[in-house]
Amino acid sequence: MEHQLQSLETEARKSLEQLSDSGQLEEFRVRFLGRKGDFSTIMRQLGTVPAEERPRVGQLANSIKAEIERLFEGKKAALAATASGSAGKATPDLSLPGRCPAGGKLHPITLVMRETCAIFENLGFSVAEGPDVELDYYNFEALNIPAHHPARDMHDTFYISDSVLLRTHTSPMQARIMEAQQPPLRVIAPGKVYRCDSDITHTPMFHQVEGFLVDKNISFADLKGVLTVFTRKMFEKELPLRFRPSFFPFTEPSAEVDIACVICGGEGCRVCKKTGWLEILGSGMIDPEVFKMVGYDPEVYSGFAFGLGIERIAMLKYGIDDIRLFYENDQRFLSQF
Amino acid sequence: MKLTLDWLQNYVDLGGLAPEKLADHLTMLGLEVDAVTPLYDELAPLRTGLVVAAEKHPDADKLTVCQVKIGEETHQIVCGAPNVRKDLAVVVALPGTLLPGDVKIGKSKIRGVQSGGMICSERELGLGTAHDGIMELPANTEHGQAFIEALGLKDTFVEVDLTPNRPDCASVIGIAREVAGILGKPLVLPVSDAKIKGTSTEFAVEVESSDLCPRYAGRLIKNVKIGPSPWWLRKRLLSIGQRPINNIVDITNFVMMEYGQPLHAFDFDTLAGKKIVVRAPRESEMTFTTLDGSIRQLDAEMMMICDGEKPVAVAGIMGGENSEVSDVTTTILLESACFNPVSVRRTARKLNLASEASYRFERGVDPEGTINALNRAVQLICELAEGEAPEDGVDYYGGRKESKTLKLSVARTMSLLGISLTAGEIVGLLGSIGLPCRPQDDQVVLVDAPSFRLDIEREADLIEEVARLYGYNKIPTTLPKVELSYPEQDNHRRRRLKIADRLTSTGFSEAINYSFVSEKHAEMVGLTSDDRRCQAVRLLNPISEEQGVLRTMLLPGLLENVRRNINFQKTDIKLFEIGKVFSPAGENIQPVETMRLAGVLSGNRYGESSPLYFKQEAVDIFDTKGCVEFVLKEMGLGCLDNPEGIHFAVPQEGSGESYAENGYCLDVYHATEKLGTLGKIKAEVLRRFSIKHDVYFFDLDFQGICLPETIAKKFVGLPVYPSVKRDIAIVVPDGVSAGELIAAVRKHPDKLVESCELFDVFQGEKIQSGHKSVALSITYRSQSKTLTEKNVEKSHEKILRLLTEQFGGTFRDA
Repeated sequence: MEHQLQSLETEARKSLEQLSDSGQLEEFRVRFLGRKGDFSTIMRQLGTVPAEERPRVGQLANSIKAEIERLFEGKKAALAATASGSAGKATPDLSLPGRCPAGGKLHPITLVMRETCAIFENLGFSVAEGPDVELDYYNFEALNIPAHHPARDMHDTFYISDSVLLRTHTSPMQARIMEAQQPPLRVIAPGKVYRCDSDITHTPMFHQVEGFLVDKNISFADLKGVLTVFTRKMFEKELPLRFRPSFFPFTEPSAEVDIACVICGGEGCRVCKKTGWLEILGSGMIDPEVFKMVGYDPEVYSGFAFGLGIERIAMLKYGIDDIRLFYENDQRFLSQF
Repeated sequence: MKLTLDWLQNYVDLGGLAPEKLADHLTMLGLEVDAVTPLYDELAPLRTGLVVAAEKHPDADKLTVCQVKIGEETHQIVCGAPNVRKDLAVVVALPGTLLPGDVKIGKSKIRGVQSGGMICSERELGLGTAHDGIMELPANTEHGQAFIEALGLKDTFVEVDLTPNRPDCASVIGIAREVAGILGKPLVLPVSDAKIKGTSTEFAVEVESSDLCPRYAGRLIKNVKIGPSPWWLRKRLLSIGQRPINNIVDITNFVMMEYGQPLHAFDFDTLAGKKIVVRAPRESEMTFTTLDGSIRQLDAEMMMICDGEKPVAVAGIMGGENSEVSDVTTTILLESACFNPVSVRRTARKLNLASEASYRFERGVDPEGTINALNRAVQLICELAEGEAPEDGVDYYGGRKESKTLKLSVARTMSLLGISLTAGEIVGLLGSIGLPCRPQDDQVVLVDAPSFRLDIEREADLIEEVARLYGYNKIPTTLPKVELSYPEQDNHRRRRLKIADRLTSTGFSEAINYSFVSEKHAEMVGLTSDDRRCQAVRLLNPISEEQGVLRTMLLPGLLENVRRNINFQKTDIKLFEIGKVFSPAGENIQPVETMRLAGVLSGNRYGESSPLYFKQEAVDIFDTKGCVEFVLKEMGLGCLDNPEGIHFAVPQEGSGESYAENGYCLDVYHATEKLGTLGKIKAEVLRRFSIKHDVYFFDLDFQGICLPETIAKKFVGLPVYPSVKRDIAIVVPDGVSAGELIAAVRKHPDKLVESCELFDVFQGEKIQSGHKSVALSITYRSQSKTLTEKNVEKSHEKILRLLTEQFGGTFRDA
């Protein structure tokens, strides 16, 4: 019986080596290891072995069975591995493109507008929207720009009638909100604005975000702080920044904010007109006249206001060189953002 | 404002400051420098030469063959100018030189004679218009030098973009005052604190309104000789792009640029009655010819400078042809005045006539600077035009204003700017630009508002000056200390953002179109004339007819976008826009602004997706309807078949949108109020937009679909017991719509019916003609137990009965 067992092992090894597919593997299992297989057949003879020999033969039988099982499992694993590795028919070509869910894009103006609003909302500003068609009073008079003031030259205005016009900036919301609410106020007003101007750098409609903060003891240093936070967040870089004196009839002191040119890094190029700086927003401390017109006491309250052009920021952020692209709604353009 | 550094240097010592550095100072003072450019760079290759020999050209009468000495070399140049002669100092462009206007000078043979270069005229150099001969340089000019250095042309041009509050800087002296302040150098003025004897025996001045003309001064200059200005003066004007005319006109222009005070010279002999009257034109005087030769239509609100009989100038804007200085003028009345800014601005607008003078008067000129500029110009005219000026003149000053003393609180300055300063430091800053000021005590600085700074009227104006002079960038950067508060949320806006996000996630891209459109759009989409959307708000001054009215619909703009995309071979289109439309509310009233949501679909359903997996199927009406259902669901409007709530309805015959194809159009209603439409655009409408592809659309009133009751979301408990599904296939006449069948099942009062879905509709061979087969899947569920076959059977039978009775259907084996 010992001999039988040993030749079974040799035979099993030999036939296992010749196996090449999983069907043959199953045949092998049935033949050698099955309940009616060769090993079981031999083991039935164990009763005929002398009693003193039985433990030794039994042990040998067990170890041979274990060895055959080990070899069997090894072969099974090897076959499985080859099957998955080489059979082209059974597995997909993973270089094929993915089945992509359809996705459209938000307009880049919307993206930058939302990002702008989010920065100020996180600073506790609320968002208010106003009419696109404004009264001369809110667009100009209430902002300390009386009729026949030369500052009106800064606004090429579309008129509907003598006293009704397309707002030239989002600043009328300053007057509208202050008229209706008492300080403290922290508000931004996003929206469309209009000026009769059309060329490679101007479209007759564009987007602005107006913002203002009114409270006691608000200083120019605070204005600098808030706008510095905005600029840093919007451009995600420690860009050099400068505040430059300017003039708006509804703020005093007034400041333009420039960032180091994002195109040339401040070296001077066509975009920054060789100055190394790009103007990105206008701002200032709210003029006492504006406060008086809405009934706030300028001796008690102070505040700052700012206005920024979304197209300009989007152009700088994405490197867009023609403002007119924003209003053609070409899907080749829209799909890039 | 244009100036040069060499000119500026006359009033303040720049101490060799680099031009870029100076520009930076000015910009940081609020005088934004637009350009700093070296002047006459293009003339750098030109050389001075001396004509050492000049002989007639052998074959041409009008040409001269010159030997021109340029340093060590002598060049032979053929010249056609009549004034070329031996010993003349000239400007030479040697071969290879590129002259202004891209004229390249080469070597050539002129009628058989070698010519190596060109002797230049002023016009060829861009220095003037004289072309009747070559430019004659001063006799002592050394030859072989660079031309721009020999004539002192080397200079730097600076252009400052002035804000409307700083008319004082519309003058070289005004800019110099700022520079002197920042550099801590004195300001040097050619004439200051000038006075004249207030009356003249030779002429009189009458002013109707001291409000319109606060000051009017004039002096006579006799025996002037009109002629060209000397080189230094022409150079100044040329350097800022002004054309020299004659010595008198040049001097008035020069002094205006120097002091910021516009001046006007009248030919005194043309003035009737030896007097000046500042008044409105009379009815008989309503046309007037200005010295640019244009005939102007006047009105009674304008202010004219008149002589004893007639208008001779439009006050503050432009002189008249009838009193213009000419070559034969001998006596000049020089005007230096101060006019009301609003009046000048209105008149300039009405006449559509802007001049350097009106620019300054509109913004305001220094009423105390009138005589300084007048006397400066008189002095120059005496020097350069050999004139003689009597000491006296007329100085009408009916509009004198007391100078105000302003109080500036040190504490307020500090708290508004966020810096700390003493009264002494503030006085130092304000004093540096010539503002007369002194500390009253530790807490208050007194400032006499100077007449040359009309923008300084209030404490706030002084605080701005302090900030500007202190330097904005030295002010610290802090964050405001404010009470914490929760910003109010605008729910309407948030929903707009949400819908935009959802639509993009389903393959739509967002479009933004102009709010103004062509009036033709209404016609192009075929609106009937009684349609409210034909009533558009019109712009008084549109850029073009294409943008003449405010839009009343979003769709035409989107159709323009479709055309553009198709033209650029992007034929799979899904675009939406959320934007305002406008409808008139009446004269001088703001129009009604309504937010709408519209979308267009065209081309393939899966667009850019790989055709490997997705069949290239064109979008159809059901994609469009699905989109709208999706939007409404996202807005929280779940149930769409309740006639009291939001629901779809096929428009009645003849009441559908003019641009929607019949039978491919659905209206969206909230109860009885129409909120919008979806459908297929008619081919004839598409043709007007030059679109050859099918286009589907939806258009909704955004405010209308923002129903407040849908804001809150409410959880419904999950079912505990299993459901049972039963399918039915029913054959009904074509006239019965699938929607009616579903609605009937859903509305059935049996409590076990949970939902009903449609899963097939077909017509064909096996179906009786005029009929269709509709397959429905009905889900039954109880909230209190697991349903048995028997329970379901009972309910299902009721449904079957209902469908056969109500719709006359017969069943097929499901």
